Amino acid sequence: MALTGRLGLLALLGCALPILLPSWWTLLAVWAVLAAGVAADLALAGNVRALVFHRSGDTSVRLGEPARVALTVENPGRRRVRALLRDVWPPSAGATPRTARIDVPAGERRRVDVALAPTRRGDRHAVTVAVRSAGPLGLAARQLSREAPWRVRVLPAFPSRRHLPAKLSKLRELTGNHVAMVRGQGTEFDSLREYVDGDDVRSIDWRATARRADVVVRTWRPERDRRLYLVLDTGRTSAGRVGDVPRLDCSMDAALLLGALASRAGDRVDLLAYDRRVRARVEGASRTDLLTAMVQAMAPLEPELVESDAAGMVSALLSRVRQRSLVVLLTELNEAAFEEGLLPLLPQLTARHIVMIASVADPRVAEMAASRGDLAAVYDAAAAERARAERGRLVAELRSYGVEVVDAPPDDLAPALADAYLALKAAGRL
Amino acid sequence: MVTGLAAPPEPTARQVAGRRFRTARGVVLALAALIIVAIALAALKPTARETDLDPASPSPGGSRALAEILRQHGTPVTVARSARQAAELATSDSVTLVTRGERLTPAGIDRLRAAPGDLFLVQPTQDMLAALAPGVDEAGPSFERTGAPGCAVRAAILAGDVEFGRSETYNAPAGAASCYVSGGHPRLVQLPVGSRTVTVLGAGAPLANDMLDSAGNAALAMDVAGARASVVWLIPDLPPPGDDSGRKSLGELVPFGVKLFFLELLVAVALLALWRARRLGPVVAEALPVVVRSAETAEGRARLYRAHRARDRAADALRSGVRERLVPLLGLPRGAAQDPAAATEIVTAVALRTTHDQATVHAALYGPAPDGDAALVALSDLLDDLERQVRES
Repeated sequence: MALTGRLGLLALLGCALPILLPSWWTLLAVWAVLAAGVAADLALAGNVRALVFHRSGDTSVRLGEPARVALTVENPGRRRVRALLRDVWPPSAGATPRTARIDVPAGERRRVDVALAPTRRGDRHAVTVAVRSAGPLGLAARQLSREAPWRVRVLPAFPSRRHLPAKLSKLRELTGNHVAMVRGQGTEFDSLREYVDGDDVRSIDWRATARRADVVVRTWRPERDRRLYLVLDTGRTSAGRVGDVPRLDCSMDAALLLGALASRAGDRVDLLAYDRRVRARVEGASRTDLLTAMVQAMAPLEPELVESDAAGMVSALLSRVRQRSLVVLLTELNEAAFEEGLLPLLPQLTARHIVMIASVADPRVAEMAASRGDLAAVYDAAAAERARAERGRLVAELRSYGVEVVDAPPDDLAPALADAYLALKAAGRL
Repeated sequence: MVTGLAAPPEPTARQVAGRRFRTARGVVLALAALIIVAIALAALKPTARETDLDPASPSPGGSRALAEILRQHGTPVTVARSARQAAELATSDSVTLVTRGERLTPAGIDRLRAAPGDLFLVQPTQDMLAALAPGVDEAGPSFERTGAPGCAVRAAILAGDVEFGRSETYNAPAGAASCYVSGGHPRLVQLPVGSRTVTVLGAGAPLANDMLDSAGNAALAMDVAGARASVVWLIPDLPPPGDDSGRKSLGELVPFGVKLFFLELLVAVALLALWRARRLGPVVAEALPVVVRSAETAEGRARLYRAHRARDRAADALRSGVRERLVPLLGLPRGAAQDPAAATEIVTAVALRTTHDQATVHAALYGPAPDGDAALVALSDLLDDLERQVRES
């Protein structure tokens, strides 16, 4: 039940009567009229309890894009329902309009469209639907909140997908599937074909040539069916914001581009998100649903404010991955965290796998290092130089273990990581 | 020396005190004004004491002396502590002397009006004047100390000049005797009301112990009070607490309709509050993500350097950063940047490619910590210049 402003206004007007007719009876009469109006409205208002809600619409949306969810209100009662309806969503779902007026005749249904503009990644659940159905006098209303569950999963934005065509054409050059048929790089035997002008004479297969009248060359291609294991660090260092985007989101973007590229290159890609325990895992996904599976797994991930457990992560990896793989670790190059955590365990990992570490560099540090002018700016520059030197030392140490390090600002990380992967592939190191 | 420090200089104690005073100024002034008003009110308030004009009190403000003198002169003085008692004691040949009339209730004033005998009202209230001395009104206070009789009242003529101190003056009706005029208004009025004579005196001083011997005070008081065979001295006790007979509370004065109006207003406000209080759907709470800026550690370290004026560490960081970037440009092995043995080699190579001489370059890249803030800023500029020139060579 809910009262309206009109009832309050009527009660205010009723204040004048006792001055004109000073008697208890006047006051009681005013109250009786108000009470009768409220009772009539409550009795005659449309029945909200009987309403049935149905939902339809988007279940997932990329961050930054709008989603539409439709709420259908069915009125199985015998009276028309004129009501104010609010579809309640969490604030970060960005639901508009906030309230809608519905007018559902008996036995019919009406649709209310809600546009969502989510501001953050993750799952957004519809909280409830509140309906307020006012009576014919507009003095009182029946009000009820009813569950109408729906979930919209807000997926990572994946802005670096615009780099994918360029990286794929690079990949085609490598594999020799290019329009201009050149000899593919790589070490894996692909096929025999007739010699054409321009082919490298070193690739002529003399044995096959002897068997046939033509000169036959061998073609190679890069190895296929290698394994990639992408590891997202969701610990405290991933919460740090570069610009206004958490490190974790940059890492996800880079992982998605690499995953998309590697699956096209014929490699198998697995994903693990880890801090002190496994937060998400994608294993054995087929080439076609890899990207969907990765995006779905990443959507609800949030940075956890705990120190990542490097030992646990390494043991989880080693127990899971038997075959030699490229392990891509997306984390922050933090000297203190590395020295205590991952650094002592790296030999175990590098002995069996190729390890690549990708990290987001903060452009703010570069900006600070370049600041000059007054004393504060020079101290800023000194602190930034110190941070860079520490990072440089860590990178050098990691490289001495044979680890590939990709350290790039947020916008360049995804393409840089893809390039590093393609370079490894071209060199036949996978 | 130009420090270039962004932080303002430390304020002096005087500045701090001044700032604190300015922020608290309003409160201090308000308190001071309050205290001054309180003192003024206390000073202006007439200091009427419980025992003033009490015929049993020997205190300076009391009137025991007058009562005793009246008794010694053969006029019996009976003290009444309530209007009822005074009305019972009064006879047609008595004078009822009423002091501290502000303590009388309306009912008491009515009793006095009905009582027989003369009345001597000392500092009466306006209500008493209206009931007991019709036609006499208060006309404002007079501060003239003494006064001459200037009338035909026998007691006044006999007493001559009288010392009043502060006194009330009156407008006297026609037919009344007006004595001791001050500012055009009399301080003593005598008039016949029906069969009795009513005397109104605007000051209590002529009756008080301490003033009785001044001028003709005693004569005036004795002659007026002792004009008849006996004196009934009425000094009403304070009404007992809780006895508010004759007084109406605010509630009784407000008309019934207005009360109902406020009741209905209350109901209306409650209804409006209920209307506003009812939400359409709940408030939704959700966990917000943490916001930690990634460069916070570097910025924090910069502020620590600044707070501790760590010029040595800052210079070290800047120098090693520049060396790291110079070494590959000079074609030297990467390790040379942090290797002290390679210092001469680096300095020579840099000096060759720049306009600076070896000593300057050595001081820039390997020199001691700068001894001032300006020197640190200059060092950073010099290092920038070296790096730029090597890059462009």
